[in-house]
Amino acid sequence: MKLAERLSQAIAAGIRRIGQVSIRPDLAGAAYALCHIEDEAADPHSLEIHNGAAAARDISTWAEDGHYRFTKSELSLKRGWILRLSSADELKQALDLFYPAGVGLWMADKDDHLKIEHLRDKLNRQTGMYRFARNLGDAGAQKLVREVCGPSNCCVKKILWQIDSNTPLEDSEASRFDGVVGAFDRQAAIPLLCREACNHFVAEARKASKAENDAKR
Amino acid sequence: MPFTPKPHAALLIVGHGSTENPDSSTPYFEHADEIRNRGLFGEVHCCFWKEEPSMREAGYMIDAEEIYVVPDFISEGYFTQDVIPRELQLEGPTTRRAGKTWHYTLPVGVHSSMTGLLLQRAKEVAPDANPAETTLFIVGHGTGLNQNSTKAIRDQVEHIKASGAGYAEVLDAFMEEQPFIAEWDKLATTPNVIVVPFFIADGLHSYQDIPVLLGIETEPGEAASQREVFRHNPHHLRGKTLYYSSAIGTERHIADVILDQIADFDARLHETR
Ligand code: SF4
Repeated sequence: MKLAERLSQAIAAGIRRIGQVSIRPDLAGAAYALCHIEDEAADPHSLEIHNGAAAARDISTWAEDGHYRFTKSELSLKRGWILRLSSADELKQALDLFYPAGVGLWMADKDDHLKIEHLRDKLNRQTGMYRFARNLGDAGAQKLVREVCGPSNCCVKKILWQIDSNTPLEDSEASRFDGVVGAFDRQAAIPLLCREACNHFVAEARKASKAENDAKR
Repeated sequence: MPFTPKPHAALLIVGHGSTENPDSSTPYFEHADEIRNRGLFGEVHCCFWKEEPSMREAGYMIDAEEIYVVPDFISEGYFTQDVIPRELQLEGPTTRRAGKTWHYTLPVGVHSSMTGLLLQRAKEVAPDANPAETTLFIVGHGTGLNQNSTKAIRDQVEHIKASGAGYAEVLDAFMEEQPFIAEWDKLATTPNVIVVPFFIADGLHSYQDIPVLLGIETEPGEAASQREVFRHNPHHLRGKTLYYSSAIGTERHIADVILDQIADFDARLHETR
């Protein structure tokens, strides 16, 4: 079955959220409507109406304070909009702009098809200027997870990877986070999944690894 | 040539993206929208090196079993030859893995139809400049890092000269190697000059760096989307009339070049069968 069809079935079965986006069937005269989770209770007429999947990119590019949200799982989606979508295909397209591949990753995980990449493998395949990230020690890597990932660092993905296949992440708010924002029924939300460390993490790993190296000298 | 629709296949456009400037990925989404709206593929997606979705995540968005991967890059080089094959785990032009077939085409910038696009852009930006009194510059970054991009630009210059478009001079120039675009007024002997950056996106280079090198701006300005550098043509500078274009990759017709690259790929695949 196509991902969009599975998504519409999941919504029929009660799925209502992904990240900071609320998914609402049959609202505002559209097959599906999306809004910010904190605008769920707002009068739809008070929200700025957008139509079609492509608008999702405009809505999600800038945070309220004007910074560029290059990490889409950043906890900084702006409020005050409603996005009307005409079909399940459009809905999937829009969600892929808000949370790239988020729906597909969740389904692959449910099917046990999600390939996870541990941090060492990710760092070891870096080339060019990021090659140096390979030298980061385990303790440094564990510390970095606490400093870069998790809601208190503004990322709301659930981390699936470990340092390597034998070294799990140490317990912390970041390693414990389950990918669902706020106090909400876990069964009714699509968790955001982190299957391998992101670019931002790798860039920080490179910096930390350089700092470790300088400290040794 | 009309493109034969591929309703059973997916198109995956691969771009560089940026952690600093969202305008850098705008053209990729626009090219994807354009092709999606024409209904030529069952699905159209983008993925990036610096933005999400990453190349490793892209496969999870796709239903189709046959996927055409088109690097929306200007030339062959580190990204198209090392990074993209590694990240998408491609083993050659066609890779079969886990029930899916991945076709990997050449980058858009090396397709011969880019020449027509550059000429069209030059005409649009300077509709009233007489070609016989005009020098056309095709500008790249140019560092030792990627000789191929320098070559791609020199090739385009040769194609344009051979095209009979009638420009008095067609010259390559670079930000960081000779011939330097900063010396455009000395390199060009004509009263009119058109400058087209040979980049995919209007990133910092075409919004900020090149305008400073040209002398349109005195220092790099604000964030790209607030800029108006392309709206004030022509510029009367250094005793000449200068027309400055946005990056060639922002051209809507790049969508056609993407399709051309796929058609060429299929033709080659057919030959080797
Ligand atoms: S590595 Fe994953 S969890 Fe950590 S910041 Fe990046 S996306 Fe978020």
